[in-house]
Amino acid sequence: MGFPAVSRGGFTPLNRYNSEVLSSFPALRPLRLLALFTAFLLVLGMPLAQAQQKVLRIAFRTAETGFDPQRVQDRYSVGICENIFEGLLTYDYLARPVKLTPLTAERVPDPEESGTRYTFRIRPGIYFADDPVFKGQKRELTANDIEYSIKRFRDPALRSPYEWLFENKLVGLDELAEQAKKSGKFDYEAKVAGLEVRDRYVISFKLKEPDYNFLYVLAMPNVVPVAREVIEAYASDTMAHPVGTGPFVLREWVRRAKIVLERNPNHRGYELDTQYADPGDEWDRRAIEALHGKRLPLLDRVEIYPIEDDQPRFLAFLNKEHDILDETPPSFINQVLPRGKLAPSLEKEGVHVFRELQPEITYDVFNVDEVVNGQPNPLGGYTPERVALRRALVMAHDRNAEIEIVRKGQAMPAQSAVPPGVVGYDPDLRSPASDADVPRAKALLDMYGYVDRDGDGWRDLPDGRPLVLQYKYNIGSDSRQLAELWVKCGAAVGIRIEALAVQFADLLNDKRVGNFQMSGSAWIADYPDAQNFLQLLYGPNTNQSNEARFRLPAFDRLYEKSLTIPDSPERNHLYREMNRLLLAYAPWRLGVHRIYNHLQYPWVKAYKKHPILYTNFKYLDLDVAAQHAGTSR
Amino acid sequence: MTAYVIRRLWQMIPTIAGVILLIFFLFNWVGGDPAQVLAGKISNPEQIANIRRQLGVDQPYWYQLLVFVKQVFTFDFGRSWSTNEEVSHILLTRVGPTLTIMVPVLIIETSLAVLFAIMVAYVRGSLTDRVIMIVCTTAMSISFLVYIIVFQWLFGFVLGWFPVQGWSESFVRNLTSYAPLPIMLAVAVGLAPELRLYRSFFLDEINQDYVRTARAKGLPEKAVMMKHVLRNAMIPILTNLGILLPGVFVGSFLLEVFFSIPGLGREIITAVNRSDFPVIKAVTVYLAILTMVVNLVVDVMYKFVDPRVSFK
Repeated sequence: MGFPAVSRGGFTPLNRYNSEVLSSFPALRPLRLLALFTAFLLVLGMPLAQAQQKVLRIAFRTAETGFDPQRVQDRYSVGICENIFEGLLTYDYLARPVKLTPLTAERVPDPEESGTRYTFRIRPGIYFADDPVFKGQKRELTANDIEYSIKRFRDPALRSPYEWLFENKLVGLDELAEQAKKSGKFDYEAKVAGLEVRDRYVISFKLKEPDYNFLYVLAMPNVVPVAREVIEAYASDTMAHPVGTGPFVLREWVRRAKIVLERNPNHRGYELDTQYADPGDEWDRRAIEALHGKRLPLLDRVEIYPIEDDQPRFLAFLNKEHDILDETPPSFINQVLPRGKLAPSLEKEGVHVFRELQPEITYDVFNVDEVVNGQPNPLGGYTPERVALRRALVMAHDRNAEIEIVRKGQAMPAQSAVPPGVVGYDPDLRSPASDADVPRAKALLDMYGYVDRDGDGWRDLPDGRPLVLQYKYNIGSDSRQLAELWVKCGAAVGIRIEALAVQFADLLNDKRVGNFQMSGSAWIADYPDAQNFLQLLYGPNTNQSNEARFRLPAFDRLYEKSLTIPDSPERNHLYREMNRLLLAYAPWRLGVHRIYNHLQYPWVKAYKKHPILYTNFKYLDLDVAAQHAGTSR
Repeated sequence: MTAYVIRRLWQMIPTIAGVILLIFFLFNWVGGDPAQVLAGKISNPEQIANIRRQLGVDQPYWYQLLVFVKQVFTFDFGRSWSTNEEVSHILLTRVGPTLTIMVPVLIIETSLAVLFAIMVAYVRGSLTDRVIMIVCTTAMSISFLVYIIVFQWLFGFVLGWFPVQGWSESFVRNLTSYAPLPIMLAVAVGLAPELRLYRSFFLDEINQDYVRTARAKGLPEKAVMMKHVLRNAMIPILTNLGILLPGVFVGSFLLEVFFSIPGLGREIITAVNRSDFPVIKAVTVYLAILTMVVNLVVDVMYKFVDPRVSFK
């Protein structure tokens, strides 16, 4: 019978020839049928196969820099590394407060030798993703990869922003780094007593001092093994060639425009560990329901688009071009959560909002050095009148206005230097000394002689010199609002505060070397222990992370003692004492803990935001049919 | 003409030298210390000194300047300090998206502006002329940012005619899907000032004696306008295009940021924020050379547009 409609209609000469050939050989007719049927299946099947792919689309609010885990510091680049590489340890997806769990290690080791030794056994049979460097061979992860990767942090040529993690930490590593500085070449072959590779799968870390938080360091997404041959093969651009043992591989990277991760076909797979799940938590319940009995990861592909501006990021989500909106921009918070409730239009779409209090704190730093840039610093020192001035400023600051106006209500006042969700956080601790109280601030200033002596309407120093303070902030950012608030709050108690905008790099330098009087800062947990926050006030960290240049022997003693004690009520007591000293001497004004609102469409399954890890792709699932229906609406 | 071109090329050398000095001193006096940005959350002075040493910013100024001059002449600006990507690769990969947007913008904007300008100049003083001038003045008074926010919201989100943002690897998809909205926006914003400017060029010519003579000779209006007026008005229009052309290669920072276009404009701002001097140096020098070359080309084109022009 043939296909008259096709054979008569618009064939090219070649097709007509083929058609004639087929017509002249009846035996070939079934072939034609088969070819047409195959073509039909292909046409029909290809989009179907594509449609069945689980493709998650998401935006990052800042562009990435690269994916060499030992060289990157921004959370977005690190977030990608979380999916490509695997460290010895990680965090349980559902456990709150967070809990360490083994990843490539067989188990979480117990501290040995009074907290100075940690020994790991890597699980055999974990392989790096395929790469031409491996010449078609499977490349297994070994203890040598861990050793090599940790040495990389101390290679001066690498300029690792996380070098501090292994500074003054492992026996023999500092000496090797010193040697490299002198010779100009890091000797990766040299044996380091603190990095003892016992066999193919066993590595033992020997620390100089006890450190009960060392395991947290090893769970950081930067502290992950890389293959030495890969690093050496792509030495000119290691940022663009990440090869790890993780559940995803980098498939496509248009720098600062698009990052595509695809499921690593050779990955061994995970199962969701539900032992720490909270049955009363709806997010945990949904995650368990969605992932029960499934082998992770489930996503085939993750497309990430760095979009720096708020509006396109927000509209792209509303337009369903993206499945998740991480950190709803504060400028759109009233559209998303009017009066604290999800907007009806979003509710109708089935959008879920995950409200997250990240383990971070914002604070204002008072430089407690008595001399700044060769000039006497009225805020510096530990005498009662200097402490009184700082405490009066803390009370003068209207933190409620900061939360309502600047943070659009998406923050809670900090009561201590330790944020919620961090080991050592004390939910019962209240610090009324940080609350706004203008009359008390004024009374305190009057009591210590900060009064207007020359009649110009502004308070002067007790010795009669004018009192003018300077608040430095980062030019071209939201911190201008915070600076303006300080100027206003200072004026409310009669203190003249001048706001000075400086470039970001200059501000970093000024805060490191103490060339400022007051400035704003924020700290996000590298690992979930109070120590990571309290080290910001440890005297020896001056010129590094101790921007206030706070050097109080009593505080330093407590801090040092806390390092030698594992997580316990005794250590929490020390943390509480340190917080008390912070409030008493006021080297900081405690700011807020910001609240982040993450939105997802209903087809995104098993979503839960982790406070330390930035991404959760390996735990997510997608309802492709619902996604297709939702996006085509 | 050859002698003229050689002379002009020769004159570029002191200009480039001036540009090099200006960038160098601006970066060292006003620009932040890149080592501070690269050092990470916790770093000590020794680590910062190590970074400065590796970047070469601890060298004497004369030496850094010498390295810069060498880079300009070898066209090798090394690698980005923040991402380690080769600067030449940055320029080559980012210029494509920028041109995909900016070339159509320049062509459409210029064509429409010339066309409308000659039309309104012809009917000068009429209601049409007045209405168009009022619309142009109003359009010019609104910030570019407002246009972007409104257009993106209206055409991208509410009407859904275009994607809100995005970019792909396919040139055709970019041109047909992602580029139309930013192109439309840039044309809408750029058209008003261009139209007003070109209108004034045409009005200057329409009032010339040769136009009156042409009309007196009985030439049809179409011939007067399109053959005589347009040709004579082309010189200032070309001059204006010469000014606009280098901007085509730099792109619009705002458009690129709002529409997630991985172009040069966005790259330049990121480089400035990160004190990424190799990228800043390369883009500035390349732009300076481009501006000078475009100016030279425009000057040469005068001769073809108006044979009375001579090279001296």
